[in-house]
Amino acid sequence: MIDKPRRVAIIGGNRIPFARSNSVYSRASNQDMLTAALDGLVARFGLEGERLGEVAGGAVLKHSRDRDLTRESVLGTRLAAETPAYDVQQACGTGLETTILVANKIALGQIDAGIACGADTTSDAPIGLNEDLRGVLLDANREKSTWGRVRQMTRLRPSHVVPSIPRNEEPRTGLSMGAHCAVMASEWEVGREEQDDLAVRSHHNLAAAYERGFMEDLVSPYLGLERDQNLRPDSSPEKLAKLGPVFGGEEGTMTAANSTPLSDGASAVLLASEEWAKEHDLPVLAWFVDGQTAAIDHVHKREGLLMAPAYAMPAMLDRAGLYLQDFDLYEIHEAFAAQVLCTLRAWEDERFCRDRLGREKPLGEIDRERLNLNGGSLAAGHPFAATGGRIVASLAKALHERGSGRGAISICAAGGQGVVAFLEGPEGTS
Amino acid sequence: METRTLQSPPSILPLYVRAAAPMIPGASLLPFVPGRGNEVPEIELGLDLTPDPEKVATYARVCGFALRDHLPPTYPHVLAFPLHMAVIADGRFPLGAVGLVHIENRIVQRRRVGTGEALTIRVRPTKLEPHSKGRTFSLVTEASAGGELVWESTSTMLRRDGGEKSETPADGPERRHIGVSEAHRQEEESAASAEWKLDGDLGRRYAAVSGDRNPIHMHALTAKPLGFPRAIAHGMWTKARCLAALESRLPDAFAVDVRFRKPILLPGRVEFASSSDGDEIDFAVRDAKCDTPHLDGRIEPLEAKPKDERK
Repeated sequence: MIDKPRRVAIIGGNRIPFARSNSVYSRASNQDMLTAALDGLVARFGLEGERLGEVAGGAVLKHSRDRDLTRESVLGTRLAAETPAYDVQQACGTGLETTILVANKIALGQIDAGIACGADTTSDAPIGLNEDLRGVLLDANREKSTWGRVRQMTRLRPSHVVPSIPRNEEPRTGLSMGAHCAVMASEWEVGREEQDDLAVRSHHNLAAAYERGFMEDLVSPYLGLERDQNLRPDSSPEKLAKLGPVFGGEEGTMTAANSTPLSDGASAVLLASEEWAKEHDLPVLAWFVDGQTAAIDHVHKREGLLMAPAYAMPAMLDRAGLYLQDFDLYEIHEAFAAQVLCTLRAWEDERFCRDRLGREKPLGEIDRERLNLNGGSLAAGHPFAATGGRIVASLAKALHERGSGRGAISICAAGGQGVVAFLEGPEGTS
Repeated sequence: METRTLQSPPSILPLYVRAAAPMIPGASLLPFVPGRGNEVPEIELGLDLTPDPEKVATYARVCGFALRDHLPPTYPHVLAFPLHMAVIADGRFPLGAVGLVHIENRIVQRRRVGTGEALTIRVRPTKLEPHSKGRTFSLVTEASAGGELVWESTSTMLRRDGGEKSETPADGPERRHIGVSEAHRQEEESAASAEWKLDGDLGRRYAAVSGDRNPIHMHALTAKPLGFPRAIAHGMWTKARCLAALESRLPDAFAVDVRFRKPILLPGRVEFASSSDGDEIDFAVRDAKCDTPHLDGRIEPLEAKPKDERK
């Protein structure tokens, strides 16, 4: 047993380039991609034959046959087969949530090293049996006599061939994620232009990160893809201005360019105790300090579906005794440009901070020059469960480059949930 | 030696017809039909190609490999298949293809081969050798990338025709792969680590991804005239499936020998067993009910691993 929590080191990450849906990875399953991301991490840090404390991972769109996706992926890598693994599913928060889970176990001394990971494919999507057909088959299975089974089978109808396809829609509201975000955008009066600007910056920042070699030890090529397929280095406000709205009707401000595309990909992050890192002669990229999740009631209380990070962040800041401005880098997941802008508005808004967060003063503005400096999801793409790992590894590396400083992460998730976390540079915050 | 580089893979169907033609009495007298003469011609066929990622993906799925950035170690064999057929269907070839039995295969992967790498494949047959049950020859396949030899395969084929029993010991005079039979003895005692249920359409699914549409793998109706009660699994599928089961433990560079024993009738249930003695891995496939051996094999790493395997 340990007396006080241990420091948790982020050693590094690996991901495969993210692909647009139904493109280069259309033949790859979640397990293929997760195995590839883990394989790259194992090779990068010499983990062949290593028995780690655990691997936590997950996917949002998951086949029923992939019930132990992460464990099966681990068994396909060169990690020791004696490395335990489990699946986590918290919509787009999955990747960051797995990081928090592994970090907590390391902090408590329950494990010394572990991997947080996630994968998602929108190409190799789990198509289910037609719900009515499934009902008939299950009823038939429950019948005891052949006659009973035959009678149940007479309920079969031609329409039952239509399969059940997963939808990007909130079960309790029937609205798509984008439609929800469009409501938020209009409530917070987020304009088209600022959304497009954020998207352009995302592309330019990610392109610059690739150009200066920043991505070299974060991304391993997969199936012929070397960079994120969605990246448009020549993106410009003029080009984006030509696009029509895809959410929020004719008056809508959200387009295909300032919303993330459906994507395929996987990512993994290696975390360890300080001692483990030393023993393995691996430098520390950054320290994982704290994490927080929050949820809002988007069904009955008219909260914006993707506003939960606005609640999670102040809870984490209060615990650490920090202000929103105490960070050198911010990584806010760009599910939609409007989501990022709504969150920032909320933190600046006196009424929201008073009425909803119960604070005397608003959290205030952040320096936009510190936001998503190496690109965001609008440029990289957003394979749901893989986004957390992408951000954690990239922020840890950016902090390592700086040497010291703090970096905050904020990720919104379906179901009205949000996950935030913060890291510190290898030399602390001085 | 006659060396020919083909511009594209030859079409398979005419080759099947030509390879099967020696079954017709007298047909081998024709110059373009194999089956005359006593010696394997000295020929080498070459082909430049880059694997199609889509095809690699479907092959990986049928054999149980994860979809990685490098080729399954058995995949270049599939790429070379049209050349194998072209060699056997050559008019100067002394044996007809029908009745040839694939008895051994050795693959040497010198390094992992990237899926997108341009490869040169070369295939050449070796001389006929006496065997206790007939005569054997081998098809030697080499794959190189940018002039570097990266992958080799040797498939030993047996033609049963009485053989020269008096002269040769049971397994032929120059069995290179002693380890295989050693391995097999161990494997028969080791417990199975997996049971594979093989569907009746496995031969057809493998044919679709490998291009090898030998009638003995396709359907009971096409296998029967060739002496099998049902369709049989392709030996190279079985080998690939074994390597897929051991995928996480394969080094980058290794040699894998297998000996094909009794054919697997489809549909069927088989057991897979493997055991490791130091760096080598022995494995076997046998019938799930009666332990009839189907395949045994051994993997040997070619280089020392960078890090010790921790237990």
